Amino acid sequence: MSETQETGGCTIPPEAHAVLEEIENRQKRFKRNTTIALLSLTAFIFFLFYVIKLDFMFMGKWVGFILTGMGFTLLVSFLAISLACILSILGALGRLSKNPIANSIATAYVSLIRGTPLLVQVYMWYLALPQLGKALEDIGIPGIQNALTLPAIPAGILALGVCYGAYMTETVRAGIQSITIGQREAAKALGMTESQAMRRIIFPQALRIIIPPISNEFIAMIKDSSLVSLMGVWELSYRAIKIGRRYFQSLEMLIMVAFIYWLMCVVLQYVQEKIEAHMARGDRRVH
Amino acid sequence: MNDKKTMVKIENLHKVFGKDSHVLRGIDLDVKAGEVVVILGPSGSGKSTLLRCINFLETPTAGTITVDGLTVNAGKATKEEETKILQIRKKTGMCFQSFNLFPHMTAIENVIEGPVTVLGQAKSECIPYAEELLDWVGLSDKRDVHPSRLSGGQQQRVAIARSLAMKPDVMLFDEPTSALDPELVGEVVEVMERLADEGMTILAVTHEMHFARDVAHRVLIMDGGDWIEQGPPEEIFTNPREQRSKQFLAHILN
Repeated sequence: MSETQETGGCTIPPEAHAVLEEIENRQKRFKRNTTIALLSLTAFIFFLFYVIKLDFMFMGKWVGFILTGMGFTLLVSFLAISLACILSILGALGRLSKNPIANSIATAYVSLIRGTPLLVQVYMWYLALPQLGKALEDIGIPGIQNALTLPAIPAGILALGVCYGAYMTETVRAGIQSITIGQREAAKALGMTESQAMRRIIFPQALRIIIPPISNEFIAMIKDSSLVSLMGVWELSYRAIKIGRRYFQSLEMLIMVAFIYWLMCVVLQYVQEKIEAHMARGDRRVH
Repeated sequence: MNDKKTMVKIENLHKVFGKDSHVLRGIDLDVKAGEVVVILGPSGSGKSTLLRCINFLETPTAGTITVDGLTVNAGKATKEEETKILQIRKKTGMCFQSFNLFPHMTAIENVIEGPVTVLGQAKSECIPYAEELLDWVGLSDKRDVHPSRLSGGQQQRVAIARSLAMKPDVMLFDEPTSALDPELVGEVVEVMERLADEGMTILAVTHEMHFARDVAHRVLIMDGGDWIEQGPPEEIFTNPREQRSKQFLAHILN
């Protein structure tokens, strides 16, 4: 609580001060020791790099080339996560819908996509879809083959977006269902329609709950975006692997690309924390 | 009271949960405008269900509900009935045992939520009245505070203000003080009393005997899914006719 407590003329005894000080010191010691441990760990890793004679010159020479691939990685990830967000909201509404058609479509979507490897799905969008297009064109739908023959990047975005949308559907559904029935009843009692209650009352509360798991998905997607390299897109990991193989210096290249992915995820984690803090306004637990 | 118009009319109301849990068994009830009716009865007698059927938080299995001239037939799930249910909800305010304030909104945002979202009014337009309501329930100073920072009694008073912002014709209270610490009950009951004084039509399920005795115009005792006895509080409390009423009252008045 923000209100300061009235002590009513009674002073805190000196021995209690000692206890409070000890608690504070313990927290300070913990912070200091964790920092020392982390720094030692970093030093140890750099020592290892030195021992195995990691070629930093080589890394420096190629870092620019590798980083140019980051554009593809970020483009694919952001567009795919946007698609996944839209699909997951539709999917969750479908899973919770009393309409048998909407419900079964959403259920089949989640089951099918979650039950098959992402790798297979990527190839499905890229390699198998044109064949489907040809078959459809043969039975008399003009132009469909061209429409279904996707370039690598759109195919990758669709594959990742549709796949993550299925996982996120379940996250969004769980978030919506975690809001107590009383909230929906209060909204209805005011005269709100189902969709007004969802939009104004249920979803904003569910959103706060699902931010951490959704961030998880986003972080996982940044890394899974490397799958588009399968289709020959020159994104981060594809470049690193190519160069590493060409000069027999895969260790340097892979360590470097791993570090770049990690940095991107650290930034995302920071953004997640900011969003969470913003959404937690009015929540007693954080004060 | 007799010359006043009927505000709530319930005819042959049945509610069956599942297949054979017959919770309401053919209730008939008329409530006049400005009347304060307190519903008493043992746990499981159907009091809350009756109240929740009036604004269709529970869908009645059979019977009709009329609020301020709008009649809805149970069992008909037409678009027209749906629209009428929404209209009835706009005319009735409800307060819950667990308050159910919207936790992501401040007190004032809770109060204007109904007018803004349901009635489509502009925010700036509803804020003066919402402030007036918060003042009326004694919480002007909590205007911009989120519900998690309010005591139970304060939350329930904001919830009452939130209902009143819709300018309802009827207020339904579903055990509004049951979740409160004893010392906080008074502040909520006091608001309910003032509401009754201002001529609001009230149906309340409550264990506050003081409210039933001093404020209610009529007390209804329910058991087994129907009311078994009703009348002015002085009559019901001093001279109940039914054996079951006597047993129930003896139990709660001790």
